[in-house]
Amino acid sequence: MSNKTRSAGGTAWRKVARYLLLVALALIMLGPFLWMIVTSLESPEVLVQFPPQFIPRSPRFSNYKEVFGELPIATFFFNSIKISVLGTIGEVIAASLAAFAFARMEFRGKRWLFSLLLATMMVPFQVTMIPVYMIMRWLGWLDSHASLIVPHFFGGAFASGAFGVFLLRQFFESIPKELEDASRIDGASRFRFFTTILLPLSKPALAVLSLFVFMGIWNDLLTPVLFLSTEEKMPLTFGLAVLETVQHNFRYDLLMAGTLMSVAPILILYVFAQRYVTDAFLRAGVKG
Amino acid sequence: MLIGFTVFTLGPVIASLYLSLTHYEIAVAPVFVGLDNYKQLLNAQLFWEVVGNTFYYAFLYVPLSVGVSLALALLLEKKIRGITFFRTVYFLPVVTSMVAAAIIWTWIYNGDIGLLNYLLSLVGISGPKWLQDPHWALPAIAIMSVWKNAGYNMMIFLAGLANIPTDYHEAARLDGASAFDRFRKITLPLISPVLFFVLVVTTIGAFQVFEQTYVMTNGGPGTSTLTLSYYIWQTAFSFFNLGSASALGYLFFVIVLLMTAIQFQVRKRWVYQS
Repeated sequence: MSNKTRSAGGTAWRKVARYLLLVALALIMLGPFLWMIVTSLESPEVLVQFPPQFIPRSPRFSNYKEVFGELPIATFFFNSIKISVLGTIGEVIAASLAAFAFARMEFRGKRWLFSLLLATMMVPFQVTMIPVYMIMRWLGWLDSHASLIVPHFFGGAFASGAFGVFLLRQFFESIPKELEDASRIDGASRFRFFTTILLPLSKPALAVLSLFVFMGIWNDLLTPVLFLSTEEKMPLTFGLAVLETVQHNFRYDLLMAGTLMSVAPILILYVFAQRYVTDAFLRAGVKG
Repeated sequence: MLIGFTVFTLGPVIASLYLSLTHYEIAVAPVFVGLDNYKQLLNAQLFWEVVGNTFYYAFLYVPLSVGVSLALALLLEKKIRGITFFRTVYFLPVVTSMVAAAIIWTWIYNGDIGLLNYLLSLVGISGPKWLQDPHWALPAIAIMSVWKNAGYNMMIFLAGLANIPTDYHEAARLDGASAFDRFRKITLPLISPVLFFVLVVTTIGAFQVFEQTYVMTNGGPGTSTLTLSYYIWQTAFSFFNLGSASALGYLFFVIVLLMTAIQFQVRKRWVYQS
């Protein structure tokens, strides 16, 4: 009896300790975000004071208006949306077509090609960067958004394309083959089966892939830095990075307001879709 | 797909091998020079310094990052209340762009008026100047990267932990095994394949560190945060020496492949196969 109570007390104590630890870690993870918000609401005079203030005494929401005057942030925003949306559409179309071929068609060298495709995930972008830059120059696409969008329509965009093919192939293979046989008997073409049956059935996988690709392009810095040079072409990441590195004394309150606006869409998107993201990880984990 | 793959990956891999054997500055056509670029690089002190920095970064980042991710996953493994909330919060930095994270942390790391040094001063520690200090800049970048990426590997570990049958733990508990014993004898062997995968991928990622240095330090102060990936970029697009940068790219590729090969060799010694 006494033994039992002691162990129950032990578990309760452990539970409290676990929660304290979880909350402390959550604070560390959230802290920088909170600090970004606090900073974005301060006045520049307060920011240079030490010790720093944790709660703005008179929050300056006008910083958010002011940042639009100081920076071409609306342009950055528009560029980010344009590149991310078009790039995502391209990559998801390309990946689903390729995944369909790998999952459902028989052709010579299929296994070999698939291995080669996966091997490209191993090649660091630093190796292919210079020739890709030369190709873009040859095409006359330097400093244009085509250099950032069009490669996604060819799926092999900067070695990231292989991931999508891999994910979708896995999903397509889990859909019973009998479905295809049945629709073929009904006279549907292979492409019709693909667009009217397979793709609608794969919505969850397509949604997760779109989310990952969208985040990837939205957050990317390396390729915009490589191909773009004029300010009015830059996406948010590039524009903000330039501010941080070139104009060292740029006002941190405005910089943080801009940064917050750049991360907010992705954070909101993630919070709404987090269930699917977790699901994708667990699913991928099952096959190791 | 196949075209894209040829044009944007396979072709460039071969093209860059050729370029690495040429003297090529952006405005002039490439001239074949054999192994000159490689010889020059291997004889340059800066190259070895950069390689050293890259390994030092990986040495700091990989164990810390994998350890923190595993700890987070173990804390969240049990079906406890609010698990979704914590999992979501820990994953937030992963979906944030590295640029945004780097900007926020540069502000936090500020040597004079930064938040971190203020918090440290509360417990009586006078913090270094972090990003302005050659000894602390690289560790500071590593710490920030752990914060940024830990949630990703945490998810992979959670998936791995979910696959361990609960009766194993139950049986061990009935036999009186302590939590630590259960971790060492059951959890660790059973997730060792996942741990291996995470180690390989995290190591490759560590070698590619670029955006952090681009935004936070530009490789400085001095050359203290100049890592291979950033150095390649600098050689190509600041110094316009594309031949030498291609050679660097290939040396980089070989180093990454070697590290991966070594990890696969050692794998047999510790990864559990059922």
